[in-house]
Parts: sequence; structure tokens; C-alpha cells
Amino acid sequence: MNCVLDGNCVKAFGKAIHALSRVGDELWLDPTVKGLALRSVNSAHSAYACFLFAPMFFHQYNLGSALEQGSETIKCKLVMKSVLPLFRCLTSIERNVKQCEISIGTPCDRVMIRFFCRHGITKTHSVSFQESEALQAVFASHLCPNVLKAPARLLCDMVRHFPVSQEEITLSMSPLKVSLRNYFEGAKDHLKTMYTEMSLHPDEFDYFQVGVDSGITFCLKELRGLLAFAESHCLPVSVHSGAAGRPVCFSVEDMVVEATVVLATLIDSESRGPSQPTETLAPPTPRCVDAAALPVGYCDAHSNIPHDTAAGTELVASSQGSPIINSALMQLLPQTDIPNELCVPDEACHSASTTPASTTICSLLFRALSSDQDDPGLPVLAGYSDGEENMEDDDYPRSPQL
Amino acid sequence: MKFRGKIVDVACLNHFTRVVTTISKLTKMCVLRLTPDNLFFVLSEKVANGGVSMWCELSQANFFDEYQMEGVSPEDNEICLEVTPENLSRALKTVQSAKSVKVKLTKKHCPCLTIAAELPTLSSTSRVVTHDVPVDVIPRRLWHEFREPSVPDFDVSIYLPPLKTMKNVVDRMKNLSNFLVIEANLNGEMNLKIETDLVSVTTHFKDLGNPPWGDDASQGGGPSQSRDQDSMAEARVDVRRLQQFLMGQQVNPSKAMCNIVHQRVLHLILLHEDVSLQYFIPAVA
Repeated sequence: MNCVLDGNCVKAFGKAIHALSRVGDELWLDPTVKGLALRSVNSAHSAYACFLFAPMFFHQYNLGSALEQGSETIKCKLVMKSVLPLFRCLTSIERNVKQCEISIGTPCDRVMIRFFCRHGITKTHSVSFQESEALQAVFASHLCPNVLKAPARLLCDMVRHFPVSQEEITLSMSPLKVSLRNYFEGAKDHLKTMYTEMSLHPDEFDYFQVGVDSGITFCLKELRGLLAFAESHCLPVSVHSGAAGRPVCFSVEDMVVEATVVLATLIDSESRGPSQPTETLAPPTPRCVDAAALPVGYCDAHSNIPHDTAAGTELVASSQGSPIINSALMQLLPQTDIPNELCVPDEACHSASTTPASTTICSLLFRALSSDQDDPGLPVLAGYSDGEENMEDDDYPRSPQL
Repeated sequence: MKFRGKIVDVACLNHFTRVVTTISKLTKMCVLRLTPDNLFFVLSEKVANGGVSMWCELSQANFFDEYQMEGVSPEDNEICLEVTPENLSRALKTVQSAKSVKVKLTKKHCPCLTIAAELPTLSSTSRVVTHDVPVDVIPRRLWHEFREPSVPDFDVSIYLPPLKTMKNVVDRMKNLSNFLVIEANLNGEMNLKIETDLVSVTTHFKDLGNPPWGDDASQGGGPSQSRDQDSMAEARVDVRRLQQFLMGQQVNPSKAMCNIVHQRVLHLILLHEDVSLQYFIPAVA
């Protein structure tokens, strides 16, 4: 794969990498026909981010000989620490870099990033990668009862009121208003913790649909990168969510780039509806910090029953023995009989592709792409209270509830 | 006990925020005293144990458009709260663009100072952001610890050089030694000295000027009368304390001076139009 970016685009690309670095420590590069996808997931698998740059974004975009051979293009996994410093200082990139060339060459396991700078200087960086299956999230946003769309500015302003160290916030939605509050578990130190709350009127949103009154708690840190990206491009941000425990998806798109961050939310059985007064600051009963574990995905074209996850699941045996990233982030809707539209055929990964600019479909298939089905068992995404990746476990996948 | 104040003017809000931020840089926790006319941020560590003490006085009328309070009782019409100024500072910093900011004493899960800001939005309704800063109420029997400190019987009083310059010097000196001697005389000369086994460094400042305390200085028999103009009064202080004081200053004060009680205490005073800040650093042997 080989692509070339023009000066202005390098900054946007760098911003995307910054946003992804807030999510995880590894960066997946996945060149596809639809564009170059950059993805990251955090170690607890409770946050996933994907930036897809369409071929139009690039000055040149060649998938290279791999396509001609008919085999799939290489997907690489890079260590974020080796890529982020290259794009660290965006202002100097903006000033100095005229073009950037990125190529992934098979012979050597390296991604080459070349900056053509002013004054005839060329900087070439060669970053080694691990070949890995790509990683994507399954998320049926069209099934989400709650949809909000707001200019990035609004969300950034709201989020600005929370200190940078704030881990989690609770977003409560009702037909009358939307409120944000910070979230603390356990009464750690009363005198130290400051509570912040704010509410927004539905009128402030470009699109407002609340099907289910809910309060979802998710990690703010991982989201800030996307919000910064959206604000710099002045794009509106769409928020798709459901009841507590269901993942929430933040997405941004324009002609040449689509960005998505999917976060797991806490399962909170308290009915802390948005109409509740702020006095309810009694700390909630501590529960599994790491939220609704991203449910194991499955894609079984025949089954309509969400819980039937065992058979027919696409599992990934990574070609290089890298850990099986099989977590599927998916909407489990036990109470409805909505046909499972998440099932997608094997090869065609409808990754955040040419989704219409509406809020309907933004399905990301979160699974490793592979036609191999060596492993019949299903790795389970364990509760992440200790952050361990429980990859080898063959147990029946647990539902999000503990 | 009740307290409710409202700030409407942007400049006042800004100034108030900067004062609170300065305080937050000086100490992690302090006491906020509210009286009908003033607000005081007080810190008093045990000076005997080498602790610093701080006294910051603000006149409420210069900041608040509305200010109502009811103290503990009609005779003791004051409220004393222990607060973490950094929380207050954080809360205030994010609402700088507010149309109005209300500060109230409330009881949520614990007593809190609630900062409720009304932010302008594009739509007709305003957005309200509330920050609840937890506080601890200080009982009356402890109030004596937070009295206004009296100006000590100083030996020399002198205006400080520009704080930025002083900060630069102190920053460099901190790398060399833990203790710094500050000495000054009534001729407007001040020296900052450090001395170690290997090296001694002195920075001299001249023509600083001495504040005319006039009749107020009669406590010590009037330093200007009985004291030799060239004789230096000195205090050896922990350089980190001095550095902390200098680091926190956000705005150049209208007047900055210090009083030195020879080998006892260094008393720093900063004056703005509506805020005064006093900081006491004890001298070490």
C-alpha cells in the first residue's frame, strides 16, 4: 500500500492519530478499497476508535500489488508510541511539511512514513509493525433509541467544564433535557471531590431524539480526542446511545473522513433519571468499573437470537499469532425481535464505509476479518476490572450483566 | 448560616478567579472567612514549626453585585469554611464567559459552596452549569486561629523588586541550596544570598525604596528613626516557600513590599486595588 498526503491533510491525519492515541496503545492500519482506516482499542476493550480516510483525502492512494494478486491487503498493528511522536507537533508539521508519504511494504515488516519538508529536507521514518487482523466494532446505530446530533463546539464546551483528570461522566437524556454530570464511584474523599453538573435544552441540538430515558456513564478521556478533531474541522457530532449498559457511539463524518468512537457504558441499575435533583450525590453502589464488557460479537447469518453466540461466529486466528481480537461490540436487544441486521457476510466488511450522512446506519463490524475459522470456541471478554485480556477463555460468552 | 453572592461583571469575575487561582497555588487547603463586608482566605500553619501563614483580604463590594450572608449567630456574624481553593479555581476558570455566576453555601451530600453559572447559548434558554465544591464548616471555638495577623515589629520594610525578576533569581538559587538569606536595609538595598560549601551567590538590588510606614511604625520605635540606614536586617528562609509564593502570582500588584524581622520572620505584602495578600515565612536558623 502506498499513499501520499498533501500538506494540509497531514495535519488532519496527525490530529486523528492524536485522538486515537487517547484511546489505545496500538494503532491498526487497515488499507482498504474504501480508504485507509486507522483504528485503536483500549486494553480493557471498553473503548474503540476508528478513523476512515477515503481515497479522495489522499493526493495518491494505491493499494498496491496486493490487490492485483487478489489477496487481501496487509493490515498492520503499530505501537502508538512509535507513531505518535512523528505527528506530535502539529503546528510545525503545518509549517514545514509539504507532503507525506506512507507505504507499507511486504518484504520488510515496516511501515515507511516519509515527510517531504521545506528546504528540500526529507525525513523518513521506518516503523515496524506486526501483521494482524484488522479490528472493527459492530455497532448498530440505527437500532439506538437515543440519537443526538450537535455541533462539535457545543459538546466541547460542555466537556470543558470537567477537569482533564475526570475519568467518567454521566450523560442523562430525557425528552425535556440532556444533562451531564461527573461520576465518582465510592465516597473516596468528600472534601476533595467536586461535583459538576450542567444541562442542555433540546433546542441546542441539531437533531434530538430520545426514545428511552436513560443515564449512561462512560469514560470521558477517550472521547476528548474525537471532540478535538471534530472541533478543528467544525463538524457536527452524532451520539447514538441506548439504556445504561449499552455502548454509546460518537461519530463524525464529512466527505473525506469518518471518525467513530464507541465506548462501553456502566451498567447502572439505579434509576438516576435526568429529572433527579442534583442532591442525589450519594455514591452509587460500586460496581464493576469496566462497564458493560463489550459483548462478544457474533455474526451468524441465520440466527435472530442475540444470545446465541456460540455457533457460526467468525473468529480470528491471526496469521501471526497475535492475540485474537474478537470482541464484538454489539447491541444486544433481548427484548425486541428486531432482525439481526448486524450479520454481514464474511469478506465484505462494511466498515464505516460509505454510510449515508444520516443517523441510520453506521454499522461497524467489530471483529477480526478472516475467513479462517480455526477456533470453534469463543473467547470471552471478561469483566475488565483488572484489565486483563481474557482471550483464551472458551467459556460461553457472558452477557454484559455481571 | 446562609451565604449567597452573585457576580455579573466579567472583569470582576476574572479578577476574582485570578485571586482564587493565586491562593490555590500557595496552599492546598485554606480557610475562607465570610463577613458582611469582606472575604478572607486564611492559612495558618504553626509558625513555630516552620509553617507559613497567609492572609488574603478581599472587599466583597468590589466583586459581587449581590452579597447576602447570615453568620453563625447575630453576634458572630461570620462564616468560616475550610475549602480546597483549587476546586474553586477550577470551577471558576471554566465559567469565565458566564452571564452571571452565583456562589452559594448549600448542603448537598455535605456542605458545599455551589458555583452556579449561567452561560450564554445560541438558543433562547441559557445553560446552567453547577459546580459543587465541598467545604467543611469551622466551629466557632476554632475561629481564634484565623484572626488577622498583626504587622510584626519589623526591622526593615522595603519595596520588592519586580516579582518576575525576583522569581527568576530565586528559581536559579533553588537549584543550589535549600535556604536563602534575604536581607535589606533602609537605603532601598536588598540582597538575596545563598551559601553552600562550594559556592556562594548574591544578587543585589538597589534603589528599591522603603515604604513610609509613618505613625504606624511607632511600634518598634519607628525603624526610620532609630535604625542605621545601611544596616541590614536579614532572614534565612526555606527557598521553596519563597519560590512558591513567587510562582503563584498571577498579576503584578500595585504595591509589593516586605517587612523583615531580623532572623525571625519574612512578611511579604502584596496590594492591589481591592485585594491585599500577606504571606509570612518564618526564618530558620
